[in-house]
Amino acid sequence: MTTKTRAEWTQLGRRAFLQSGTLLAGAAAMPQILSMPRAYAQAGSTMVIAAPATPQSLDCNFDVSLGTFEAIAALYDGLLGFERIIDPDVATARREDIAYHADKMGGVNMYGKLAESWELDPEGRWARFKLREGVMSNWGNELTAEDVKWTWDRAFALGALGAFYTKVSGLTRPENVKVEDKYTVSFNIDEPNPLLLKIHTNLYTPVYDSKKCREEGGSEDPWARKFIENNSAGFGPYSLEQMVRGQQAVFKAREDYYGGKPAIDRVIFKEVPTSAARVQLLRGGAVDIAQYLQPLEIISLKDLPNVAVETVPASFMIWIELNAAMEPFDKPDVRRALNYAFPQDQVMTAVFQGLADPLNGCMPNIYPGFAGDQVDYSYNLEKARELLAKAGHGDGFKTTLAYNAGDPVQEPIAIIYQTALREIGVELELKKVPAGSFYNAVTDRKQPMIFYVDSPWCPDPGYSLTLYFDSKSYVNYSNYKNDEVDRLLGEMAATADEKVRLDLAEKAQAIIMDEAPWTFVAYPNYTMARKKDLSGWTYYTSNNIRFQDFSRG
Amino acid sequence: MAMARDAGARARGGSRRLAFFMAVLRTHPSFALGYAIVLMVVLLAIFAPWVAPYPPETADPVAFLQPPGWPHLMGTDATGMDIFSRVIWAPRIDLSIAILGTLLSALIGTTLGALVGYYQSVRGLGRFGAGFVMRSADVLQAFPVFVFAIALVAVFGQSLQSIVLAIAFVNAPIYLRLMRTQVMSIRTMRYVEAAWLAGMPDWRIIARHIVPNAMAPVLAQLSVNIGWSVLLTAALSFIGAGVKAPTPEWGSMIAMGYQNIVTGHWWPSIFPGLALAVTVFGFSLVGSSIEVLSDPARRRRLAGRLETVRGIAP
Amino acid sequence: MRLLSYLGQRLLFVAPQLVGILFVSFLLVKLIPGDPAVLMLGPFATPDGLARLRTELGLDRTVVEQFLIYLGNVVQGDLGTSWQTTMPVTSDLAQRFPATLELVTLGLLVALAIGLPLGVAGARYKRGLLRTGADYYGLLAGALPDFWLGLVLIYVFYTMLGWAPAPLGRIDFAVIPPEPVTGALLIDSLIAGNWEAFRSAAGHLVLPVLTLGLINAGPILKMTQATTERMLDSDFSRYAELCGLPRKVVVAQALRNALPSVITIVSVLYGFLLGGAVLVEIVFSWGGAGQYAVQGVLNADLNPVLGFVLYSAVLSLFIYLIVDLLYFLIDPRTR
Repeated sequence: MTTKTRAEWTQLGRRAFLQSGTLLAGAAAMPQILSMPRAYAQAGSTMVIAAPATPQSLDCNFDVSLGTFEAIAALYDGLLGFERIIDPDVATARREDIAYHADKMGGVNMYGKLAESWELDPEGRWARFKLREGVMSNWGNELTAEDVKWTWDRAFALGALGAFYTKVSGLTRPENVKVEDKYTVSFNIDEPNPLLLKIHTNLYTPVYDSKKCREEGGSEDPWARKFIENNSAGFGPYSLEQMVRGQQAVFKAREDYYGGKPAIDRVIFKEVPTSAARVQLLRGGAVDIAQYLQPLEIISLKDLPNVAVETVPASFMIWIELNAAMEPFDKPDVRRALNYAFPQDQVMTAVFQGLADPLNGCMPNIYPGFAGDQVDYSYNLEKARELLAKAGHGDGFKTTLAYNAGDPVQEPIAIIYQTALREIGVELELKKVPAGSFYNAVTDRKQPMIFYVDSPWCPDPGYSLTLYFDSKSYVNYSNYKNDEVDRLLGEMAATADEKVRLDLAEKAQAIIMDEAPWTFVAYPNYTMARKKDLSGWTYYTSNNIRFQDFSRG
Repeated sequence: MAMARDAGARARGGSRRLAFFMAVLRTHPSFALGYAIVLMVVLLAIFAPWVAPYPPETADPVAFLQPPGWPHLMGTDATGMDIFSRVIWAPRIDLSIAILGTLLSALIGTTLGALVGYYQSVRGLGRFGAGFVMRSADVLQAFPVFVFAIALVAVFGQSLQSIVLAIAFVNAPIYLRLMRTQVMSIRTMRYVEAAWLAGMPDWRIIARHIVPNAMAPVLAQLSVNIGWSVLLTAALSFIGAGVKAPTPEWGSMIAMGYQNIVTGHWWPSIFPGLALAVTVFGFSLVGSSIEVLSDPARRRRLAGRLETVRGIAP
Repeated sequence: MRLLSYLGQRLLFVAPQLVGILFVSFLLVKLIPGDPAVLMLGPFATPDGLARLRTELGLDRTVVEQFLIYLGNVVQGDLGTSWQTTMPVTSDLAQRFPATLELVTLGLLVALAIGLPLGVAGARYKRGLLRTGADYYGLLAGALPDFWLGLVLIYVFYTMLGWAPAPLGRIDFAVIPPEPVTGALLIDSLIAGNWEAFRSAAGHLVLPVLTLGLINAGPILKMTQATTERMLDSDFSRYAELCGLPRKVVVAQALRNALPSVITIVSVLYGFLLGGAVLVEIVFSWGGAGQYAVQGVLNADLNPVLGFVLYSAVLSLFIYLIVDLLYFLIDPRTR
């Protein structure tokens, strides 16, 4: 571990960028220039990844499975990306520079992916992108402004996830996205919006090859849903070679990728459902990366000579939704009591083996605008009992806690919590939900208490807080409703002034933390477990790996 | 009880029967072992709250995954619960489910079996009904047992009652067939015909003359079946369709610990499995002892042998 | 000729039996809570989309109508799709059923190899260590939970000794599996002449097959011993012995007469294990049909469950048919 502070490292990281001459926003900087020294001699190498599941579908408008994330990043590119820096804690890893930069356009440090340069209205009412010329899709069609337009038209037409992205970036109708000329596209909105640029770094706003999609879909299926579900038509670094759901997906590096052919030639993405199995494969050297391991398994890898383990702070959070629409969680005092009765420290050591950090806020602690530690919910049974009595539940109550059978940390946390709650008279019945229908149980909003793991992908306080605490947000699974919070979040969404927004964010977080719509559990962090000779791993706030970052040696 | 069929034994009084029983145990140590195991498991189930050193559902995260030793004889699991205490508490759940489920299946199965066996050779509605029951049993038995049981639990919702019901459903056809065969052969016996000729109503004939005389194989089956039901309960829990965590139950304990076996933490799942195996083993030994004792021919042979050795007669 | 007419009669009953089984399972899975339309469309479904999908799936009709539609599709070889794998059930099962069959078949062969000789030996020597051992083994094998025995074997032979390959499926990761012909890896790799695949597949089979074999040897042993013993006690054996035939011949004769019951128990075990091996499949990450069906039940994915029930019912009936054929071959009276 380093003794340098995060800020110092960030500075260092930025200096590294300066040296490589890629700082100019809008400069035609190849993202690969930044990559670790690449061993082209090793071209033709294959990387095998043991993952919990192959992609359910390849259509990011509908699917949010873990496998889909990895696939989308490989098959598609968006307009922009955050610049990358050395991780302040782990020198072998890199991460995005998501800090607020007053001197940069829109306050963000970005490089162009499909966009060559861009302009932003200081008021935040429009953004204009000049696309790179000569960028080819995996079907040989050149990228034009029409492709960007079609992509957003599709989001408008199909609703679902795309509707969410249009909404947060202030787009209300397809006409908001305008083709200026062959290579220029602009986004024009009615109200100022702070996310006009950031939204285009998002993993789930990739650009489609509209020509291919139109051909495949025809008039039957104008948005090519059938085609995109199982194939790809994009401008990303890899193309899909094979996909057998439940077994494996194979990705092949594209020779004609605009950023140069990735170092890893082929990526075999294998489905290995149990984490114990994935660990064994990495130990035995059969795979290069084992994803999503359990804390004990990660610990067991630490002394192996041929394996490297890197744990970095991430946007992941794990919490328990306290359903405010159900008795007795409609009373903030009950929710507070449940937080005071949660033995967070013990969970950190027994379940997470010290690999996680306590969740001390209601948004990722790595994001700009994170307040943190506004309310101290450390284990305090006295206080918990007091609050319960105040809420009229001095004798406790009975309720159920639902957890995901597919996430091995949830059951032990649930059991430890059950024991702890017994102390304040709360009888917890545990309900194990099969992994396949767990998400359904969450979105149903009918469980009084249910675990949830999520990460808001856009490193922005307004985005993160709105997602979980705006009373109209779909992802507000705890049915939390506070008019003042709604008002603050609404204000944040309507101004591009970063200073004002950060101030609003702090106020909103203070209210949310005080009212405790969740039981705050942990930041589980992100652990990369890989073979030692694989380098270049970069952590993204979308918590997926991008195959093009890696190289051997 | 197992000797109900042998009218002679009943007349000779309890103390002699006990002496015979003890003598059998002495010559068949495996039977004694079986009874000892079952007795011990039942006693543990009853006295678990006083015997177990720790509460069975209380996590102690400070002491997670302690290897077997002192004070945790069998170690602790990932949440710090004492495995020894949980292993001791488990038969409460496992045995109650298995015994209730088995009894229920025997009740359903033998009742239907008696009716089917009695009415099968009668023309008319009775025969039709009997045929229908048998064909239904065929269909039920054609199901893959395990998938059937999980589906039943899924339909009824995950609770103890559902597991009991699933076990009852899955086992009922066994008793149905067993009873039917018995009743069909007894039905043609003279004393049954006599009762019928004397104008006794059907239900009394079945209740008084047929069922009591057809029960012996059912009783032998019961003990074996209880063991088997314990296995099924554990298997359901192992898959996640059984009891809720952290209820102390052998199958769910194995499931909670099995991912850790490859990282070398063997104790959370090996000990409960051992307890499970020993219990089922005990019940099968008891089952085979009942089988021997309730078979008149084997009983007589046994008695003859004992008489020559020790001078004890049934 | 008797054989043929018998077979004809049997086959005549197969179709209604299958329909009956399908109907009951259809009713059963329909009762499993969970709306397939919601699960299929996921969290971002619109009410319109849900309604459309429900109509498409026929969920707005009565159960009987739905069943008739399903039956119609089945006759055309369409078992529907699984929302979890998004694949047709037929192609999912084409992959997974052979995996289960390979495992179960080999497991039962091992069980026979253990149970049959032990059973005969137990019947032949009524006292002594061998008999006691056989007795205890028979009872103990029936008492062991198979999934637990699998775990113990994994711990001993993989974690501790490192002799067995990791319990992670049917073939080594790095080995390219042979082109599927039968779906059974051992056979397919032989056909392809791929020795590396054969060795790897065989290595992965050892522990799960041993688990099933050790446990299912129990009932086979008990049945063999009981019937052989009865045959040895019967008049024809006594007569043969009195005639001075060697003991060996007498035992062989008794065994031959005991074989029908042994075959029966094997066929019953076979039918049971198609779904019952699921726990062993889970422990060894086998990816078999049982696992597929259980996941289907747990996640309200109905088509895989029905498909599995259908496949295993057909297979069970087929096995019983073979058993009957074997009876004809063994029993000289039928010839």
